[in-house]
Amino acid sequence: MKVHLFALLALIGTPLLSVQADTLKINGSTTVNLPAAEASEILRSEKKMDIQIDTQGGSAGGISMLGEGLVQIGMISKHVSDEERAKFPKVTFKEIQVGEDAVALIVSADVWEGGVKSITKQQAADIYEGKIKNWKQIGGPDKRIAFFNKEPGRGTWEVFVHWVYGSPKKAPQVSFPEVGGNEETRNKVASTKGALSQLSSSWADGKTVFALSIKTEDGKEISPANENIANRSYPLSRPLFLLTNGEPTGDTKTFVDFMLSDRGQDLVKKHGYLKLSELK
Amino acid sequence: MVSRWSFTKISTFFFSLVAAGIMVAMLVLLIVQSIPVWKHEGWSFLTGTKWFMRTHEFGAAPMILGTVLVSFTALLLAGPVGIGAAVFASEFLPARLRLAVKIIIELLAGVPAVVYGLLGVLFLRNWIYDLLTPFDPLSGDTLLTGAVLLAVMILPTVMTLADDALRSVPAAQRTAARGLGLNSTEVVLHVSLPQSARGLLAALLLGLGRALGEAIAVFLVVGRQDNQWPEKLLSINPLIESGQTITTKLASSETNIAYGDPIHWGAICGLALILMLMVAGITLASASLQFFSRSRHAS
Repeated sequence: MKVHLFALLALIGTPLLSVQADTLKINGSTTVNLPAAEASEILRSEKKMDIQIDTQGGSAGGISMLGEGLVQIGMISKHVSDEERAKFPKVTFKEIQVGEDAVALIVSADVWEGGVKSITKQQAADIYEGKIKNWKQIGGPDKRIAFFNKEPGRGTWEVFVHWVYGSPKKAPQVSFPEVGGNEETRNKVASTKGALSQLSSSWADGKTVFALSIKTEDGKEISPANENIANRSYPLSRPLFLLTNGEPTGDTKTFVDFMLSDRGQDLVKKHGYLKLSELK
Repeated sequence: MVSRWSFTKISTFFFSLVAAGIMVAMLVLLIVQSIPVWKHEGWSFLTGTKWFMRTHEFGAAPMILGTVLVSFTALLLAGPVGIGAAVFASEFLPARLRLAVKIIIELLAGVPAVVYGLLGVLFLRNWIYDLLTPFDPLSGDTLLTGAVLLAVMILPTVMTLADDALRSVPAAQRTAARGLGLNSTEVVLHVSLPQSARGLLAALLLGLGRALGEAIAVFLVVGRQDNQWPEKLLSINPLIESGQTITTKLASSETNIAYGDPIHWGAICGLALILMLMVAGITLASASLQFFSRSRHAS
């Protein structure tokens, strides 16, 4: 199968790559990428490590590239599912949590100023299933809802459908315009009227895109603020992981240890996520 | 003179064989890898309008339509401008100035696709969004946005090849036409354009081929919405809504999810195969046109 394709690519690419055989390759989630890229920068200069870090295909890309042996560390913002484990039986996926993040439902400025500040799980489901198509139906401006769905396989998307439907498998089949990385999502929501999407909450800046609170059944409105994520009252939180094949060794271990150290954890904090010591 | 098997000859023969071999290998690889989806879907892989990977429904029709709409609209926009610019440059500009114009336009061809894509996100997307306001668009990501962006990207290809085609019309014919009393406009209309028609068509086809295969720039502005099969084919509606082309699907993170699932992976390879055949068909048509237009002038 695709193994042949990679074999072919490897055959062509080997002479080029063999020069940098000890490059530490990292790929995956754009969410985890923020602190990880900065950690790479530090390790490059302090330990002269050769690190290549990329965000092809988000969490799913991180998992499959680690599964194929193309990278040594995957960055993922969701758990590795049983299906994904089954696809790569030879790989022992090891999830190493480095922080915690929340997924926010974000809206464009016109929706926020039009009075929509929170959303219930039922409303989110109705929008996802196309039953609610206009913001007017949930107390907002008379404007069609431009829903940008995160690509399937993105950690953000999985957290969202997990919250609404209990599991990605139970989510209905829908077709919306899709968005990929966090920058793209923020840019498109900010520049489109009546826009809604899912986004890592630390990226919701409150200037161009606004994070909705979640309205629970007893009428409480819970915002994706750090204290609500830490005490788990905000329902769309998710762990951030570095993913390795078995116990990390060598350069991989150096990188993982750095992310777990105080300096690494400060980077996690700096980019708006919760560090491990803040979790309850 | 007796031909000798010189080193140059052998090595060029060898490398062209390698190049051709890689091409054939890719085709075979895509055919073999896509077998599971053909078994699973049959012809409905080409005609089906639903693509739901989690329930293993793979219909490529909306993506084929998106590819065709985006690239032909791009050609419709870039064709007249490109050929017009080529006529102006080759027929009316002095040689030096013509070369300068040509170099500048060819520089445009060297701009990386992702740069065009980012410019598209920054300016074009919003411009189209405002322009379409009377139609109440959902967002600025539409097939039309992709087409306009592609039109800019294929303009250098069309212009420079059309210019070559026009220049290949022998100067003697122009002089003869002028001698018969035709003015310069009449020379262009009755001599240069008809004489170079095949070459011009070849230029348009090569532009189309480039538009078919372009991924990243379109990816950033087309909206990537699956299952967009319009109720009415012959209307402007599909153009002013989000859509998906074969290339944007192949560039999406779905290719990462497809690993390890033979049918899903087969569907992705099947899309690649369709695209490759489309581009190959266009390129072959254009190459044969160019070949025949050359041999005609030679005779």
